Amino acid sequence: MAAASRGGGPKAMELLRALPRVSLVNLRPNPGAKKSEKRRGRGRHGGKKSGRGHKGQRQRGNRPRLGFEGGQTPFYLIIPKYGYNEGHSYRRQYHPLSLQKLQYLIDLGRVDPTQPIDLTQLTNGRGVTIQPLKRDYGVQLVETGADIFSAKVNIEVQMASELAIAAIEKNGGVVTTGFYDPRSLEILCKPIPFFLRGQPIPKRMLPPEDLVRYYTDARNRGYLADPSKIPEARLELAKKYGYVLPDISKDELFQMLSTRKDPRQIFFGLAPGWVVNMSEKKILKPTDERLLRYYSS
Amino acid sequence: MAAPMRRAWLGLLRAALPAARPYHAPPPRRKPGGVYRPDPSDPLTPLWQLQPAYEAKLYGRHGSASGVDPARLWPSPEKLQELEAEEREWFPGLREMEAALDAKEQQEERQRVEREKLIAANMAKMPQMIEDWRREKAARKEKEREDKARRERLLAEAQERFGHKVDYRSAKFQELVQEMEKKQRKELKLKKKQLKEEAKKKTAADPEPVPVSAGGPEPA
Repeated sequence: MAAASRGGGPKAMELLRALPRVSLVNLRPNPGAKKSEKRRGRGRHGGKKSGRGHKGQRQRGNRPRLGFEGGQTPFYLIIPKYGYNEGHSYRRQYHPLSLQKLQYLIDLGRVDPTQPIDLTQLTNGRGVTIQPLKRDYGVQLVETGADIFSAKVNIEVQMASELAIAAIEKNGGVVTTGFYDPRSLEILCKPIPFFLRGQPIPKRMLPPEDLVRYYTDARNRGYLADPSKIPEARLELAKKYGYVLPDISKDELFQMLSTRKDPRQIFFGLAPGWVVNMSEKKILKPTDERLLRYYSS
Repeated sequence: MAAPMRRAWLGLLRAALPAARPYHAPPPRRKPGGVYRPDPSDPLTPLWQLQPAYEAKLYGRHGSASGVDPARLWPSPEKLQELEAEEREWFPGLREMEAALDAKEQQEERQRVEREKLIAANMAKMPQMIEDWRREKAARKEKEREDKARRERLLAEAQERFGHKVDYRSAKFQELVQEMEKKQRKELKLKKKQLKEEAKKKTAADPEPVPVSAGGPEPA
């Protein structure tokens, strides 16, 4: 008995079992972590203005918004503006996902690196929160934590920085960048509510014209890039950052690492046009020629 | 004693293996009772429950127990045609988008090259233009200086004649200037005439030299 020979053993186990469990009822904030709220106008300070001055918005704390000039056309609207923020409410947003966070999620077992990782895994592990209605288009892989990243993953993100790609490929992993239109993104992030709607999985739309160049570029590991050019790009990146590229074709996880989605596919293993029924654990596939043609195009 | 030890061993094993902690989304909340089916004849049934999306939803929630024909989950042929037409109209294919991008890039490149050419040509002309401008400037300055000198001379003359200073804009001065110009012109004419007359006289005084003949020397 290894545990007994080390000196702990059954006695310690018994003790541990007898001790109360850590739970919400016996947890309290650390001393000094909480500061009691300041209560104005109490004791000998009562009956006066409580340090807020005399009357008005200043005393009542209902000041107008920043930049408001009492109804006069405010400065920020008078002065001609340069278009730095032009159309900011229509721009595509990509939440940053750092390699540090990814490593953290993997270390805690919230994301399984033995399976291909995409937005479904990341949102399910509560790693990122995607709101397609708030113009979120997915996540971008950023390079924070590139020096500590040590997992071998097959990950699909929407954008990735060069160093982040290098850090993943150095460990023998695979990165793909793929575009999801808002509808597909919603389905990808929340599959169960979608399956409960009983609708066929739609096909993923192509990226808009201004993103075509990004996703057809093998250097970005784009999902529309020529697959034969990606090994070259991987080698080139390895040369640039000075590491030896592991040969993934000899890897025991080669099957997993080489899994890629079709450009029209939303979920791994599920083709567009299929209906997934959760209650009966069934997949229904269309047989009509026209439907097949529509969903496969 | 064996049970806690086994649990400890299992815990150790679990800690050693880097397996993912299985996470499952909570199962959907189900209402008690059977499958709710909207009654189309009941006027209180909301309209949205009588539409195909709701049927699909019933199927998604209850499966075949909902009694919905699964074939109706997919778009009907008419709807499919609509979808296809919409896609054709609004979603260009990858090749088309790439071709459009190529065309745009080529156009931009062409415009850039043209602009650079124009700039180079104009820059080549630049030294000559600067030289011309300098020359013009010098000529202008020279002319201004001459004008100024002439006016001063005239003003001095006017002062001599009238005995007091005259403004160059005054009518008096202008008259004087015109008069003087007339005089000058007359003088010029006279001079020309004189010159002509002198020339005539000269020709009359010494006769024209006789052209040299091809024979011997002319007798004096």
